[in-house]
Amino acid sequence: MTLAANSQTPFPPATAQRRPSPPPRGSASARTFGISLVTLAALIALWVLAAQFGWASPLFLPSPADVLTQFNAVAADGYANGTLLDHTLASLGRIAAALGVGIFVGIPLGLLMGLNRWVKGIFSVPIDLYWGLPPLAYLPLLIIWLGIGETSKIVLLSLSTFAPICFAAQAGVRSVPVERINAALSLGANRLQLFTSIILPSALPEILTGLKIAIGAGLSTLVAAELIAAQSGLGYMIMSAANFLATDVVFVGLIVIAVLAFAFTSGMCWLEHRLIPWKGKL
Amino acid sequence: MLRIRDASITFLGSDGQHVHALDHVSLDIAPASIVVAVGASGCGKSTLLNAIAGFLPLTEGTITLDGREIAAPGGDRGVVFQKDTLLPWANVLDNVALGLKYRGVSRIERYERSRHLLELVGLADFAEKPPYELSGGMRQRVGIARALATDPKILLMDEPFGALDSLTRETMQQLLASVWAKTGKQILFITHSIEEALTLGTTIVVMSPRPGRIVARFDADFVRDFAESGDIGPIQSHPRFIELRQEIRSLIHQPEGARRGTLQ
Repeated sequence: MTLAANSQTPFPPATAQRRPSPPPRGSASARTFGISLVTLAALIALWVLAAQFGWASPLFLPSPADVLTQFNAVAADGYANGTLLDHTLASLGRIAAALGVGIFVGIPLGLLMGLNRWVKGIFSVPIDLYWGLPPLAYLPLLIIWLGIGETSKIVLLSLSTFAPICFAAQAGVRSVPVERINAALSLGANRLQLFTSIILPSALPEILTGLKIAIGAGLSTLVAAELIAAQSGLGYMIMSAANFLATDVVFVGLIVIAVLAFAFTSGMCWLEHRLIPWKGKL
Repeated sequence: MLRIRDASITFLGSDGQHVHALDHVSLDIAPASIVVAVGASGCGKSTLLNAIAGFLPLTEGTITLDGREIAAPGGDRGVVFQKDTLLPWANVLDNVALGLKYRGVSRIERYERSRHLLELVGLADFAEKPPYELSGGMRQRVGIARALATDPKILLMDEPFGALDSLTRETMQQLLASVWAKTGKQILFITHSIEEALTLGTTIVVMSPRPGRIVARFDADFVRDFAESGDIGPIQSHPRFIELRQEIRSLIHQPEGARRGTLQ
């Protein structure tokens, strides 16, 4: 539609080209990217120097070269009943299952709690009560109830991812501007249309924020649970290595977890960029 | 025909006192007329509009549109808000087509109609843009097109140009006059600008606060000239315009006690 309005148009069309669209969101981080890269390089250089000049015993601080060697060894031959890939997949599988539960139960329930006084009244008390507890405090109870297997860990993780997502969906519903709802009603929206075309998209930014928090909570609970009670996973690998003072393997585990966390964060940023490019714009 | 009879709205204020936001207001809005309600803030003019839109229930009285009583918001009354309420995730065309989508109008038909309306408000080239790339005035034009898309019986406009700069505002007034002349819609327009009221209204009702009520009404005909000429200058310097402006101004600024006897 580049047609200029014809002479019948009773009103001159807006022709002025608008100012160029605001710079893309990445530019602020692009400006700091170089600085961050230098910082990272400096940290690694410091690590190399510390190992080189023996500022700390290799038992406490293994050299980067040792860690790299150990990384290859663990990846190829495995450590504590599994290769690095096995442990990583075990951890990822648990967190994926927990996020699935958090998303597929937390979002619908949170939306309902935001919409309905009764649902909110019934569910907010139990959620508030357990959400205040540190997950590791009730892990022993879950193990007594559900056994030492995967179930207890996935339930624990699901509980820690569910609450932030549920709260976020609830807050999202309540953050919908009342004018936006009134506008839709005066355009003839019925209740279902109001929900699908106004409330759900308006709540999406909050829901994605909740998902980010849930991923953070899930990762920390995951590793902690694996440290205590597991036969596989990155946390288990770290704990086993620590028992034998294999500090280089501990470093391997930590680096993999850091990379996973970074990947999750980047993925969420990408998702926000794709799903809600309009966030904060209107 | 919109008929308002003895409409009252009473709130319970935070101090426990009853606030009479609207006190026995009666008003008719005939087809093809523009009724402008003007008054200081707090005089109940927006409350009146919200009641007609169905956002606020009446405490007393009735509002009927073509004989049917108003109980809830509905597509027969198009609303243009002061703050634009466009959906940021939809482009301009989809925003205009929203009401038609709610009615189940086919995609081809609703886009065709929406494009026609965008042309009417001079935004044909902006159909695919997201609303946040438009200026405030353009967004209000989209809002007007969106409200017109479902062909409502009446257009309710709540200080739609209040947030715009004075130059844009003049352009928008021109736009509204020409849209009105073309569509013949009945319009209720809320404003706190006396000039805007006189320029756009076929009927001007002056409202006063505490309790919110109509204290005077005037007929005017400047909007027809304005729609034809598009020139606000000669209209605002017309002796009758100046006379009415003075009269309305003194009504609005009168001390509350002295105002009591003014009506009729």
